[in-house]
Amino acid sequence: MSLPLYYYLAITAVYILMTWALYLPYRVAHLHFMVVANMAISGYFGGYAAINWHWSFLAVFAAGFLIGAVVSFVVSIAIGDAPTFAVVIVGFTFIYITKTVIENWPAMGSTMGMFGIPLVNHILLYAYLFVLVTGFFIYRFDHSRLGRAASAIFIHRELATSFGVNTKYLGMFLQTWAGAIGGATGVLYGFIMNSLFPNFFTFPIIGATMTMLFLGGYTTMWGPLLAAPVLWGAPLLLPTAVASWRQIIYGVLLIVILLLRPEGAITRPFIVKVQTTIFQWMRIKKV
Amino acid sequence: MAVFLAQIVNGISLGSVYVLLVTGFNLLLLVAMIIHYSFPIVVVFSMYISWIVLGLTGGNMFLGLSAGIVSAVLINILTAPMFQHIMKKRGDVDINSTMVLSMGIGMIITDFLSHSVNSGFPIAFPDSLTGRGEPAFIRLGVISMSRGDMLSLTLGIIFVLGLFWILYKTRAGRAFRAIAEDPNGAKLVGIPILKTGLQSYALTGLLGGVSAVAMSILLGSASPGLGDQLGRKVLAVSIIAGLGNLKGGLIVGISLGILEALVQGYWSGTWSNSIAFVVMLIAILVKPKGIFGMKL
Repeated sequence: MSLPLYYYLAITAVYILMTWALYLPYRVAHLHFMVVANMAISGYFGGYAAINWHWSFLAVFAAGFLIGAVVSFVVSIAIGDAPTFAVVIVGFTFIYITKTVIENWPAMGSTMGMFGIPLVNHILLYAYLFVLVTGFFIYRFDHSRLGRAASAIFIHRELATSFGVNTKYLGMFLQTWAGAIGGATGVLYGFIMNSLFPNFFTFPIIGATMTMLFLGGYTTMWGPLLAAPVLWGAPLLLPTAVASWRQIIYGVLLIVILLLRPEGAITRPFIVKVQTTIFQWMRIKKV
Repeated sequence: MAVFLAQIVNGISLGSVYVLLVTGFNLLLLVAMIIHYSFPIVVVFSMYISWIVLGLTGGNMFLGLSAGIVSAVLINILTAPMFQHIMKKRGDVDINSTMVLSMGIGMIITDFLSHSVNSGFPIAFPDSLTGRGEPAFIRLGVISMSRGDMLSLTLGIIFVLGLFWILYKTRAGRAFRAIAEDPNGAKLVGIPILKTGLQSYALTGLLGGVSAVAMSILLGSASPGLGDQLGRKVLAVSIIAGLGNLKGGLIVGISLGILEALVQGYWSGTWSNSIAFVVMLIAILVKPKGIFGMKL
């Protein structure tokens, strides 16, 4: 496999996972940017553990997943059912504080970044295995009672509460799960790139994942799955002079989709339509 | 003690700018019902416009600063239809989408500034505007205030008082407050929702422009990332005060200015900003719905 294709596929997996991490809490209308801070915390921990303590990739990966979950769980106790804007600002603040700590901590490489994270064989396989497992669990969640409860909260929080949905617990659960995915993805990213830079965990990844979520569609898990490879890949095909305006391209796309198709490209009715078409086609084939 | 008092005075100057920004942000929230997260990014864009016009006109202060103010008003009015389109399409008030739309606008402005103006490097305003290098304008014992501090503080006080006067003493202000209290009731008594909403965009644009002038004088420089940092602070102040609470925003805005100035007085380097953020984070985690209560 060529190196550009390898990096395209690997980073696409990272973006799919991060957009799913953003998608899960958004099921209850929480734009939980803290997953980016989770990514940074676990990524740096993983890098440090692998370089200095010689931990294996799988041990680091498990630890990153756990750290992400624990940090998110602790924070979710306070913001499990907070308004969206409070969740947004908590995420931004955490990202800023995490970045400042990393930049001022020589053991983490400070502003220069962390280098020398060991190479791992079959990292691409591990990344897509994690995408598959995560996708499976998100699919199961979306089609469960909890998934329907989350949809109810998104549409009408008060009504959902009066039907007996515990908005706080569900919010906490989704934030914790998203944090765990963010943490594990941070470790994956570190091992894919073999280095980490504090500046990555700010504006670029927030803008990209937010655009992927809203452009793909935030009402189903398939939206991010489709939007991540397209949005990450499209600028790579453009001339360098144009591709360097990636954030502006994302910003324009985000505004256009919000104005024209607020629920994104792939909506629930669209999925139903596709399923119906496939079933009809299969029936015709059978006959 | 001397450092403490001097930093309190500096903090009030800085806080007055935060109050201007938070008041503009809250006004949009109350009347237009949008969370304009990127409002401070628009303000930073206006600072850049001022800097460009100052450069083009050979340092003409009037033209430079006016261009900044006009650009803020224009951007706010030009983006208004997009926000209103979203509000109309969603039927009910959907504040989350307006925040995401605002973030999209912020992404475009920030990246444009990073690429196109001064090759992405921070800009510095001329000393004739900021008063850098001049002797202290006011000196009371150990406390001294530069001309820049004094000007930005005066601008902040005048415009915040002016805004509160508009809100509480004029017909237009009553219309703003009526919409904030009950949009349907306001519609029923004949208040034009769309027109009043547009007026709020223009008024906040004006506040944004004045904030840009005050910040140019007070800080003396700007960078593409400044807007994002201010956006976080303004949203945090607004949440801590209670979203849409104008008086709460005034108190928390000034308090944040004083806190930052005190931290900068006793701590150095990049940690100073983080300490302010840690305090804000704790306040939000403890009271996610605000200290003074939401007015939404």
